[in-house]
Parts: sequence; C-alpha cells; structure tokens
Amino acid sequence: MKFQIEDVTVYFPYDHIYPEQYCYMIELKRTLDAKGHCLLEMPTGTGKTIALLSLITSYCLSKPQSPMKLIYCTRTVHEMEKTLAELKILHNYQIKHLGPQARILAIGLSSRKNLCVNPTVVAAENRDSVDAGCRKLTASWVRALASENPDVAMCEFFENYEKAASAAVLPPGVYTLQELRAFGKEKGWCPYFLARHMVQFANVVVYSYQYLLDPKVAGIISKEMQKESVVVFDEAHNIDNVCIEALSVSVRRQTLEGATWNLSRISQEIDRFKATDASILRAEYNRLVEGLALRGNLPITDNWLSNPALPDDILKEAVPGNIRRAEHFLHVLRRLVQYLSGRLDTENVEKESPVGFVASLSSHAGIDQKTLKFCYDRLHSLMLTLEITDTDEFLHIQTICDFATLVGTYGRGFSIIIEPFDERMPHIPDPVLQLSCHDASLAIKPVFDRFQSVLITSGTLSPIDLYPRLLNFHPVVSRSFTMSLTRDCICPMVLTRGSDQLPVSTKFDMRSDPGVVRNYGKLLLEMVSVVPDGIVCFFVSYSYMDGIINTWNDSGILKLVFIETQDVVETTLALDNYRRACDSGRGAVFFSVARGKVAEGIDFDRHYGRLVIMIGVPFQYTLSKILLARLEYLRDTFQIKEGDFLTFDALRQAAQCVGRVIRSKADYGMMIFADKRYSRHDKRSKLPSWILSHLQDANLNLSTDMALHIAREFLKKMAQPYDKTGSSDKKTLLSQEELEKLGDGRMHEMSY
Amino acid sequence: MNNGAGRRINGGAEEDDDEDDVNGDLDAWERTYTDERSWESLQEDELGMLRPIDNQALYHSQYRRRLGSLSSTAARIQKGLIRYLYIVIDLSRAASEMDFRPSRIAVIAKHVETFIREFFYQNPLSQVGIVTIKDGVAHCLTDIGGSPESHINALMKKLECSGDSSLQNALDLVDGYLNQIPSYGHREVLILYSALSTCDPGDIMDTIQKCRKSKIRCSVIGLAAEMFICKHLCQETGGTYSVALDESHFKELILEHAPPPPAIAEFAVANLIKMGFPQRAAEGSISICSCHKEAKVGAGYTCPRCKARACELPTECCVCGLTLVSSPHLARSYHHLFPIAPFDEVTSSHLNNPNCKLQRNCFGCQQSLLDPGNKPGPAVVCPKCKRYFCLDCDIYIHESLHNCPGCDSLRHS
Repeated sequence: MKFQIEDVTVYFPYDHIYPEQYCYMIELKRTLDAKGHCLLEMPTGTGKTIALLSLITSYCLSKPQSPMKLIYCTRTVHEMEKTLAELKILHNYQIKHLGPQARILAIGLSSRKNLCVNPTVVAAENRDSVDAGCRKLTASWVRALASENPDVAMCEFFENYEKAASAAVLPPGVYTLQELRAFGKEKGWCPYFLARHMVQFANVVVYSYQYLLDPKVAGIISKEMQKESVVVFDEAHNIDNVCIEALSVSVRRQTLEGATWNLSRISQEIDRFKATDASILRAEYNRLVEGLALRGNLPITDNWLSNPALPDDILKEAVPGNIRRAEHFLHVLRRLVQYLSGRLDTENVEKESPVGFVASLSSHAGIDQKTLKFCYDRLHSLMLTLEITDTDEFLHIQTICDFATLVGTYGRGFSIIIEPFDERMPHIPDPVLQLSCHDASLAIKPVFDRFQSVLITSGTLSPIDLYPRLLNFHPVVSRSFTMSLTRDCICPMVLTRGSDQLPVSTKFDMRSDPGVVRNYGKLLLEMVSVVPDGIVCFFVSYSYMDGIINTWNDSGILKLVFIETQDVVETTLALDNYRRACDSGRGAVFFSVARGKVAEGIDFDRHYGRLVIMIGVPFQYTLSKILLARLEYLRDTFQIKEGDFLTFDALRQAAQCVGRVIRSKADYGMMIFADKRYSRHDKRSKLPSWILSHLQDANLNLSTDMALHIAREFLKKMAQPYDKTGSSDKKTLLSQEELEKLGDGRMHEMSY
Repeated sequence: MNNGAGRRINGGAEEDDDEDDVNGDLDAWERTYTDERSWESLQEDELGMLRPIDNQALYHSQYRRRLGSLSSTAARIQKGLIRYLYIVIDLSRAASEMDFRPSRIAVIAKHVETFIREFFYQNPLSQVGIVTIKDGVAHCLTDIGGSPESHINALMKKLECSGDSSLQNALDLVDGYLNQIPSYGHREVLILYSALSTCDPGDIMDTIQKCRKSKIRCSVIGLAAEMFICKHLCQETGGTYSVALDESHFKELILEHAPPPPAIAEFAVANLIKMGFPQRAAEGSISICSCHKEAKVGAGYTCPRCKARACELPTECCVCGLTLVSSPHLARSYHHLFPIAPFDEVTSSHLNNPNCKLQRNCFGCQQSLLDPGNKPGPAVVCPKCKRYFCLDCDIYIHESLHNCPGCDSLRHS
C-alpha cells in the first residue's frame, strides 16, 4: 500500500499497517525534517524494522536531490540478515510501483569470517584467525613477493577483484550476506573487499554497532560516510554499555606475558630487517617525522588498524622523537609492560584516575603522556613496516598500546582499577588491571556530531528520559509507543508472596533464606503443572542460579530442565534440545541468567515461551569496583543518582528478559516478576509502557496460588480463536482506505 | 467450611484417592481460594459497574464464527456420513484435577455420554470406539461398534486416573485399528486431552505423519491450555483444535464434533455400500440374541440375510457382518447434505429504521427484539426470506430444526 505522510509518499510493502507503525513513521518523518536525533521506543513484534526502512527509503525517494544514505546498525549477524530480507521485500515493492528509478544499492557488511569465500581461509575457527589468514594472502608485500615467486599462495578471489579494479561494482539491488557471497563466488571477486569498496556508493548499509562505535574499526569503515546519512541503532537499549566496552581495556598477567613475547619477536624482526634491508626502517623514520597524517603513503588496502578516537590535531602532529626509531619505541613498550606488571603485583585493590596514573608512570618509567598517546599508531606503523601478517598473534601488544593511548588521551571519564583477585574467589590470585570507561557519550559523540540524524530505537528504552543524559545528546523527538492489540495477549504479574504468604525477594539478606528458596521452587513447580510447552526462568546471576538449583534438586520437576551455562556450545545444545522438547509436546523449562547471552539474543516466541518467570531484580553486582567508579562519575557529571541508575539498569534487563516471549501480535505469553520489590512504584514505573499498560492493579501483589489461578484462566482465554483485525472500535490493522480516512489528529490520539 | 466433604459427595465414585493427597497439603482457607472464586465471574463495564460476565454474547459470537467457517467453504459440500470415530480419553493424573467440578474426568464422562448419544442420533450409519490413556499406555476400552449403550457402560466403569499421558501411544493404537476399516468410511479421532504434556517413547512427528498418510482426521479438545503439539497434530491431519473454558463450553465443543465433517477429497468418489433393512420381530417372540448371546423376549430385529437377531439398530450383524439400519436413520442424515445458509447479523441502526417497523419481533418465537431499555438488541436475518430472528432461534434453527420457518412459510403461501 502507499500513503501520504505530509509531503512524503510512503511505500509500504504490506496491505495492512498497524496504527502504531503509522505513528512511528510520523515521528520519524519529523525527525528527518528537523535534521536532528531521536529516541523511539516501540515494542517488539510491531514491525519496527519495516516501518523504519520504508519511511526512510521513501523519504530518500521523495527528495532525490539530497544524497541521503541509511546506515543501519544491528547487534548480531542474524538481525542483519533479517533486516536485509525485509528491505528486499520493500525494494521489490517499490520497484513494482515506481519502476527502475527506485533502484537502490543495499549491502550488509560483516567481518571476513562471515563474508569470505576462500575455502582455505574461512575454515579457521575464530574471527581473528580468519582475518589473519586473509592478510597472509592479500597483504601488499605478500602479493609483491608472489609476483616474483609463483610458489607464494595468494587468494584468487582477491586477485580477480584487484584485476577488475574499478569495473568491480555491484549492480543495484539488495544483497544479503548470503547473496553477496554467492555473487562473489560467481564473479570470482572477493565479497569482503567488494562490500567494503561498495559501502561508499550504497544507499543502505547494514552493519554491526562496532563499525560505528568502536573507534578502531570506525576509522576505516565509516570514514567516508557523508554527513547527510541517517544512522539507525536498532535494539539499542544497551547502547551505553556497547560504547563503554568499546573504550575499556583490561590487562591481565597473560596479556603482559604475551606482550613481552610479542616484543621479543618484534625485536628479532627489527634485527632481521636491519641486517637485510635497513632502508625500510629509515624510510619509516622519515615518514614519522612528517607526521602520522601522511600514513596515506602506505597502500590503502593495508589500513587494517586505526587510532582510537583521537582528535584530528593529534594526527597532524609529528610523532615524538623518543619513539620514532623502532628500537627506541620497543624500549618504551618494554618499560611500560614492566611497569604494568609491577603494578599488578599489588596486594590490595587500587583505584586511580588516568591523570594520576600517567604522573606515576612518568616518574617511575619515564614515559610521558605524549608518548603514550602515540603508542597505538606507532605500533601500527611499525607492524606495517615489518610486514607482519599474522596479526592475531600480536593481540596482546595491541591491547597494551590501546591502553596506553587511551590513558594518554583522556583525563576524564575513565578510571584505572587494579584488583589482585576476583571478589568471589579471594584465594585465587588473578590480578587484573582495568581501564574502564564511565562515560558512554565519549564513544558515541563523534557519531552524533558527524551525522545529520541518529535514530535510537528499541523495544525497551524506558525510562526514555535517561538515555539522552547518559549519551549526552539532545533528541528532537523522544517517544514511547504502545502496542495496539486485539486481545490482551500479555499477562504481566507481580508475585510478592509465596503461597504461605511470606514475601519472596532476592534481596541480599533474604536470598538464601530456605523459605524464600522453597517458595521460588514451589512457584516454579506449580506453574509447570499449569503451563504447557515452554517456560523460561531467569535468575539474577549464575551463582544464585547454581545455588538455588542445588537446593531444589531434591524436589522432582515434571518437565525437562535445561540450563544456560557460560559455555556457548553447551548453551546452544541445551537450547536446541529445549526447542525439541517444546515441539514434541514434552514441555520443558529453560533456566537462564539475566544479562546472559540467552536474555539478549534468543527469542522464546510462541510455544517456546508461554511463561517467563523473572526471579528477583537483576541488579548489577554492586560491590564491583568498576560499577562503583562509574556510579560516582555519573553522579558527579550527569547528576544521575546511583539508585536511579541501578534501578534503571536492573529494570531494563528485566524487561529485556520478559520481552523475549512476545515477538508478534498473534503470540501470547505471561510474565511473572517474582520479587516483592517489583510492587514498589519506583521499580515498577521504570518498566516499558507496553508492559505497564497490561499490568492490572489486581495483579500487583499476588501470592503463588492466586498467580496460578490467573495463569489458568489466561491460558484458556488465549486458546480461544480470535479475530485478527480487531473489532470496529479497536482497529489494529489498517488498510489503505482506512488510513486515508483517518485524519492526522485522530492518529495522534491513538498513540498516547 | 464443608467444602471438602461436599465435593467428595459430588464427585461420587469416579474420584479416586489421588486427589485427597493433592488436597491434603492445602489448608482450609486455601481450599476456599481454589474453589470459590465468585469475584471471577464479575466484570467491569465501561461505566465502572460490576456485572456478571456476559457469557451468552461471547458464546453466540463464537457459535456464529464457527458456523461461518463451516459454511464458507462451499454451500453444498459432500459430507462424510459413514464415520469411524475413536474417542481417546486422557485418564492421566491431570484428568483428576478439579478446576472443572467435581473433577475433569467426571465432566468428561458426563459429556462423552451425551456426545455418544448425539453422535449416533446425527450419524446413524457411523461407529465409535473408545481408547483411554493411563500411566503412559493406551488401552482400547471398547472396540469400534454402533451401540451407544455398550460404550457408555464400559466407560463409566473405568474412570480411575493416574500416571502420565502419551499422545503417541494413543495415536499408534488408533492408527492400527483404523487402518483395517473399509475405504468408504471416514476415519476420525477425537482426543479429549487433560494433560499439558505428552511422554512419548519415540518421535511423535513420525506418528503424526503416519496418521496423515492413513487419512485419519484428528481433533483435540484440551481442558487446560493450548499445546503446540496438539495444534500441530490438528493442522496436519485437518482436524480442529479447541480448548474448553468451562463445563458448558466443553459441552458445546464436544457436540460440535457430532455433525459430519466435510468429506476428504480422495474419498469423495461415489461408492455403493451394501446395507440391510431388518424387520422388527413380532412382540412376544422369543429368540437368542446374537449380540448378548442370551435368549430374549420381545422387540428385536432380524437380519434380512442370515436371520440372526439384533437388539438395536444401527449395528453390524454379528453373524454375517452386514450393516443393519432402518430407513429413518438414513433420512436423518439427509439434512447434513443440504444445510440452511447462516443468517446475517443485523446492525442496530437497521432495527430502528422506520421501514423495518414490522420486524420488531423475532419471526420464530415472536419475542421482542428490543432490549428492556427499548434499545435494539442483537438479531439476525435470513438472507433468503429477510425475516428477523433472535439469537436463541438462530441457534435452534441451525442446530435442531434444519429448516428456516420464514422460507418455509413463504413457500406455502
């Protein structure tokens, strides 16, 4: 269907549209008009992605003179594929209606691991070794060598791509990763380099968060994006954590050992070069005198690393004299590693600001701030000069340089924390030095500055006013939409008491009380007896889960139990079997942990999750030094109270967990928040509005037996057939005519 | 509180000791919770007033939807009149639960009885068998046959529940039996499932495919909640899946299976079936009955081929295997082939329209179609004769009468 939103004709590939999708598009349109940033919350299963895509592409089509580009960031490869598939449907529809002028180029960009078609390279087990394997075949010096010596292996796909040179272009269209690989195979061109090349020309680029947020990667990939681009962060409820992780480094003993080993290997290489070809080192020295900005002298394809979020003026400065020569730089690094390992030997927990750290570093090891700042680039340049291809071996020294550069660059928003052992296991010495970033806005600032519109959207962004403060930007639109439903297909409940009327909670002083554990166990047992197929149960932490399962071990449970572990393979296997058990009617319970992998990325839709029980409030581990430092920083800088932030963070995790059960409007599911603290207003009000609107007052303070009864009734009601389009007064699907009939004003009301 | 005692009397002999254990660890005040939830049957209307839940409107809308879905396929459709139906009754632990009063199994038994009678009334040419699932094993309670009494009697004797339930075992057993029946018969299974899980020895998906291949139409009525596997089974085999809200809804759902379903395309070829129309023996004659193997006096039927005596019709002659029916039985199946069209719903504005003033009363029962407050109530209209009917008459005409009074009176006049 197509319809008009103000001056834009929107092409929407389906015959019907949800009212909230329409509202969503209106808000989006306003953001684009205002050329500002926005925050939009809309529940999952309401077709966020397609609404977004169809509005933005239609907007571009209506304004052919502006070179607008859509950059769509997803969290996982799976989501990337889904987005591209949706875009494909949309694109076909637009071509059908508008003819060839609607043609766009849309590609997904991922790591070599996902795009490589060279069978020998892609066989490697992890991402880093695929990257290294690729470089071994495609680095410029390897190819130079190969042109003389035919025995040296090269990647034929890359060679073909290079030969085709400027002729190597993708015809317009929508390419999923799969199709990109197929195209590459057919033409004999390397899909990875082709994609990277085409990113500049594509109208829509879909890739992962890291490509924009992680300064190391962003420098290479996203440099060429124009200012007019629209950046979308989908599923962005954890965006602050992604930003923080991108700028945090932790150094362990193994890192230092690895770094030492790396350094000796580099020094061997230097010696070898000195013996054979000293001119290269001299050339590098000269280049460094002129400044890092001239790195462009190096072949462009070899730009595999870049500087972390350095202000531009640093790039133009010359590298300080004391690290221009390779061997001097190595000495500096050795001293740094030595100093760090000395610091790791401490007996007690230390916390320091970067400024203090740099001061003590310069007094003890004689390395000044400016030197530190350049470490990353200097290493990068050195490794290029030394023609090192197996970069995955050199991760440790890279980490150290990364650390040094960050410490040297930022005086605020970071802290350095040294812990001699893990809090939970004080007997095992496991010293770790963490440079932790507290300010999520640091990493995302360049993105906000650079691009015209940044859209942050997710199913759970409540409370929506906190995100602008955390990320330090001013949205022109921030709105939260609810789901329009034909029936009340979600049933959230707050369970505060067991059937013996004693309160249940995972508060620290109550969690190990046998009465509480028994009540939780009983809740699960009884729920299992009334809920068919799959049940998912989230715990606050692995340790609590282990403890409570041990206690429950005596009581038999009717259904099969699958448990998420920290091991990815084991968890995948458990999930697989869980699904099989649900399919075959056996029924099963899946135990998982909030903030775990399952809570973030796995859907328990339809019969895979009829009920999700959130046991306890998933607060972060409040004694962690990093968290404390971050809280302090947030309080001082953004005036966000510790309690507020903790609650916000816990509740968004809880909402994320329970949101796993509803993935579409036809689906139904129950959610039980089993903790007495959820009934308090300050906690509850932070849940997303689409959950809150279904949380009836009667369901706020339940005991197990009451919850059981509600569950029974709910399941029976939901099993009845229903009318998908909704009755006349409560429309949930709009056809084109109905949409035209509805005035703008009316739609406005509905969204509140 | 004499709840516990009262219930035990209600439950009668069907309940076993199992439930006493379940109730044993509940305190008296807890039992009041589980049993009497009078507040649940109230709902708030838009003015904030409490009203009893309006079940009737709900049921009627559901009924209409079903009617629509049945008739939407085609106006005149070939129906499978000769049905071989196995009723699978789940006697697992879950069937002894007491959310239906006095217990699920008591309710099931009660309505299976009505269903069997209704089934034979509507499908005189069909046969039924009963299979039970208990302790994870499926048993054949009665072989497939045409006598309602024998099935009911056998069922009432065996109502103890225990153990787990296994859908696969039941389907395998039924599949084995139904494979032997002649090709003109329609194979059907109706599963009354109380449990919420199935404990199977093998891959149930294979079994479902097997049922699909042997053209067995499987329908499930759940008593607790929707289960994926049941839904899947019904989808694959062309049956219907429904979940009962309460006792009356359950009754409605089970009786829905009484009228014959549309014939499966492969069976739709015309087939000739040999049948006998036995004579009723004279009063007072004494003969040995072939079904009970004992001498009986009075009314009985004599097989036209082998002269054996049968007590009831319809049946299959025990001696020569001929299907014995009477002509009224055949006549009764007739209306299934020519159903009357579903009535259209009348919008309320229509009723107030001065042009339609004449039709303020239901044409069937002559009751006023207006609410007490003189507002137009719900009504339906026959698409042919344009007469208005109330909802009760709507159901009565479609379910029992099978003739539209409006159209018939037009024809006469």
